Amino acid sequence: MTKLTCEDTFLIKRRDLKNNYFSYVFRPYSRAVRCKPGNFVHIRLASSDVYFRRAMSVASVNPDREEIEIIFKIFGRGTALLAGCRRHAPVNILGPLGNAFSFPRKNEKAIIVGGGVGFPPLLFLASEMIRKGYPPGDIEFFYGGRRSGEIVERVRIRRLGVNLRPVTDDGSYGRKGLVTEAVEDYVRKHAGERMRLYGCGPAAMLKAMDDLGMKYHLPGQLSLEAPMPCGIGVCLGCVVPLRKGGHARVCRDGPVFNIGEVLL
Amino acid sequence: MTSGLNVNIAGVEFVNPIMTASGCCGYGEELTDFFPLSRLGALVTKTITIEPRLGHPPPRTAETASGMLNAIGLANVGVDRFISEKIPFLEKQKTRVIVNVGGKTIREYAEVAARLNDYGRVDMIELNLGCPNVSQGGMEFGTDPRMTERTVREVKKVFARPVIAKLTPNVTDITRIALAAEQGGADALSLINSVVGMTVDVDTWRPTLTFNRGGLTGPAIKPIALARVYAVYERCRLPLIGVGGISTYRDVLEFFLCGATAVQVGTALFVEPDAPLRIIKGLADYIKTKKIDHVSEMVGKVRKY
Repeated sequence: MTKLTCEDTFLIKRRDLKNNYFSYVFRPYSRAVRCKPGNFVHIRLASSDVYFRRAMSVASVNPDREEIEIIFKIFGRGTALLAGCRRHAPVNILGPLGNAFSFPRKNEKAIIVGGGVGFPPLLFLASEMIRKGYPPGDIEFFYGGRRSGEIVERVRIRRLGVNLRPVTDDGSYGRKGLVTEAVEDYVRKHAGERMRLYGCGPAAMLKAMDDLGMKYHLPGQLSLEAPMPCGIGVCLGCVVPLRKGGHARVCRDGPVFNIGEVLL
Repeated sequence: MTSGLNVNIAGVEFVNPIMTASGCCGYGEELTDFFPLSRLGALVTKTITIEPRLGHPPPRTAETASGMLNAIGLANVGVDRFISEKIPFLEKQKTRVIVNVGGKTIREYAEVAARLNDYGRVDMIELNLGCPNVSQGGMEFGTDPRMTERTVREVKKVFARPVIAKLTPNVTDITRIALAAEQGGADALSLINSVVGMTVDVDTWRPTLTFNRGGLTGPAIKPIALARVYAVYERCRLPLIGVGGISTYRDVLEFFLCGATAVQVGTALFVEPDAPLRIIKGLADYIKTKKIDHVSEMVGKVRKY
């Protein structure tokens, strides 16, 4: 069997999470078992007037049932079309693509930081860490959004047993301000403890996370987003500059990069 | 008994007429995740230049109606690293290898070609005479017949195996360039390169790409490519390799009928990396159903009004 294929599947569960967020579950997807936190899949609708696939990070999998879940927000034409899909709609999935997060060491606290629609791969990360025996209480799950309605799936995150720390721009839910301010306060308060940062979110948040990691000498990883025509590393459209010089392809060399690796 | 799909171009045998298009499959490594490269007629690499190039800053691709606009800017590892890092990989692949070559001067084209001449794994080279995405050494080679002829001639002097000239559609009369390439000694022609295009973000009033313009590819340009292939087929006797917007076997048939001996699949690989497999199967089924012994029987056979 070749490593990758374009696989036909169906949308079998569609949840409207409100505020333009949706959770989609596809089945059957035989490669669900191969998906790791940080991986993404490249999705194509059976009939659509957008030419390229759309890259979506994996939010959860159920390998026994060959199911894969994505959570997305409507941003442009592609996501708007996707949001218009009905249950049983045929889709084609290419994947799983990209690299994955590496798990924290045993004595390290996981500081997970999601901004807006960047949280789904982190939800997968936290779930997989817990499934592998990592204590949920050692996971700080910071989740930033503009307002209360944009902190979606909060019950689900809480149910994992992690410490959910919501932060909103307007203070309508959780702490008021920027999520990275909350993270910095936490890091300062727990100075001396071993921590590992994980981040996925808007560019400004990733930049702040990168700065924070370097300032406090904390290891960690950031998952980047970029428009990806091919997703497999051949078109070179999604490159980012590296601190050591040269370019990296977000789709193939990432999307997960170590703190300090990319010039954000 | 043959498959009916094998083709011969300038004395080189290809198991089938389906090649990848330059710039759409890197140096071939990534595609092996989907299928063994031996399934392809040939792999055509990304353009190789004398020095490594990073290309333009992103954004350097944009989605368009039925296609894409790109201004990658010939990002590549350079001929030295190509030889040390990519040729060993290609040595292991049982497919024909065509290396696409670019340069800022005729001398650079010839230097890269001369370096590649030492590596038998490189079955042919294809000259990128019409990249719209570089400020120096892009389209002037492919828009001026004399430059085209001279570039091909200089490369032919240093590269012992067949040379393909890849033509740009961004000219008034592509047949003049085709004939100039033939005059220069080209063994085959591939056409077309991307079509110059532009898109603008109306919120920021900025071009979508940092290079301001780019090259349009994908299904949107297929009719343009077909018309060019047909025009050249009528005037030039060299074997033609059709490229531009091919994503199905039916697209390939159109190119055959308009005069192409083989074709290259490019942007379609971004959407369906395994497209070549579907296309090859579709072609095999088609000739069987139509009781055609060999694909070459269709070349140039469009029944013109």
